Amino acid sequence: MHDEAGNLSLDFLVGFTIFLLAFIWVATMVSGIMVNLQSSHIDYDAVAYRTGVILVEDPGWPASPAWELYGDNQKFSISRFGLAVSKESPGILSQDKINRFFCTSFIYPDDYQSRVIFGKYPYRFNISVTDLTTLRNQSVGDVLPDEYGYIRRLAKIKTDSNATIGPSYYIAHNYNNTGTPSDFNVTQHQFSILINGTRLLGDQRNPAYQIDPNTEPIMINLTNLNSTLWVKRPPVNPATKISLTGINVYVQHGNTLSLANTWKIPYIDGKSVSQVPPWPVIDNISLMIDPYNFSIMSAGYSNVYFNLTFNLMNNAGTSANGSFLNNTFSGPFDYNYNGANVTQPQLDDAVVEVAAW
Amino acid sequence: MNERGQLYTIEGVAAGLIMLLTAYMIVGATTVYTPGDAHISDMQLEVLGSDALTMMDTPANSTVAESPLRQMIENDSYGGGQFKSMFMNYTNASGYGPVHNIQFSANYSYVNYPVDNSIQTGWINSSRSLTGGEHAVRVTKWVIVYKQLPGDTKIENRAVLVEVLLWRD
Repeated sequence: MHDEAGNLSLDFLVGFTIFLLAFIWVATMVSGIMVNLQSSHIDYDAVAYRTGVILVEDPGWPASPAWELYGDNQKFSISRFGLAVSKESPGILSQDKINRFFCTSFIYPDDYQSRVIFGKYPYRFNISVTDLTTLRNQSVGDVLPDEYGYIRRLAKIKTDSNATIGPSYYIAHNYNNTGTPSDFNVTQHQFSILINGTRLLGDQRNPAYQIDPNTEPIMINLTNLNSTLWVKRPPVNPATKISLTGINVYVQHGNTLSLANTWKIPYIDGKSVSQVPPWPVIDNISLMIDPYNFSIMSAGYSNVYFNLTFNLMNNAGTSANGSFLNNTFSGPFDYNYNGANVTQPQLDDAVVEVAAW
Repeated sequence: MNERGQLYTIEGVAAGLIMLLTAYMIVGATTVYTPGDAHISDMQLEVLGSDALTMMDTPANSTVAESPLRQMIENDSYGGGQFKSMFMNYTNASGYGPVHNIQFSANYSYVNYPVDNSIQTGWINSSRSLTGGEHAVRVTKWVIVYKQLPGDTKIENRAVLVEVLLWRD
């Protein structure tokens, strides 16, 4: 007997072939309908968005000391860039972080990819920060192609604080009063500047407006020093010269005042100094106290005194007695949150743009 | 003849026809397909609007006690166009990327305390009136104002919700 079990009939083959052809045709047609709905942008937009969030809302890592204080030979210790002043104040950017971020010592794209773009895919990108007040634009990256993912964030850039004091301030605060019976009888004069770290930290708790010499530079300008010079009355002796003999920095721990450093990098009459003191001064002195040099003194948030010592001399090079900038008896100049003393940190409008492709 | 385990041609044809009919019905049905990146431009607009409100609610320095947004609501000065110029300036600020012709309509809401605790709305400003056809996104920000709101018996700190609808032209 002929057994047909397990054999395929011609009828089955025809039926199954028709079924398969119909199935393939439908499957092809349906997937084709969706073609125009796919987008290659999504990934790029997501990367741009993520990068924008990291830059604007994150202060970066390491946080203490902040990554922007790391030198070029330590840049491999920086694990994440972030431009925010602190994580408590998203959207407020630090000018120092921005300057460091766009520093040419970071190589595009490698140094940025691993620290701000992230991901295994080698994205190309363009990051720019524009200060809308000064119209200063800083950017890093490639020229934009036709198609790219994009995000625009609005932020504020925190400017550094500074103090510029001049004749009216000296007079109002008795800064040329030596306290001696005759103000004109002193050769050596001292002017002290106080940076009270504890009060700077405690009086203003919002990081957006806080003055913190451990993370941001501060600048003190003493202008029109000649106006405080009063040698003989009358007449004023024009031949008298001002000599800055040194700047000692004292740190107060408890009741003890200890010499922490001698400041060797003042700007005198608009120029940096190269030689050792004494430095001749005509009219102006500026102290630019940056976080790096501040941290060397391990002052933390103690009281720090910058003590400027001046000598008055006549043309012959011998000491001359007279009245000059001197706050030995009137108290040190306090770098604080009083707008009359110190120009407070200002928040400038800015736009952060990230494009990735 | 043993016919167990066999399919007939007519069954294959029937199955094929059913599939075709199903596909035809699916394609013919009214369906709104949304491209995969449709939410991206909404997200970009939302982030921008939210950032703009945050910037407007941030005082420029520590000596200014109140943010511009707070001052505008307290002084009812938005009618003079201060809100409009500031918001438009922020959202259309310089830069590349998608076109910046962003329009907005803004108001604020508050609880009608102590009258009946209903939600009242105060008008702020708009760059263009809403026609209903705009594809707008909504951003909000809570602002504390020191103001005697309508119905209030005295000047006090009150929370108002600033709402902005924004869209691209």
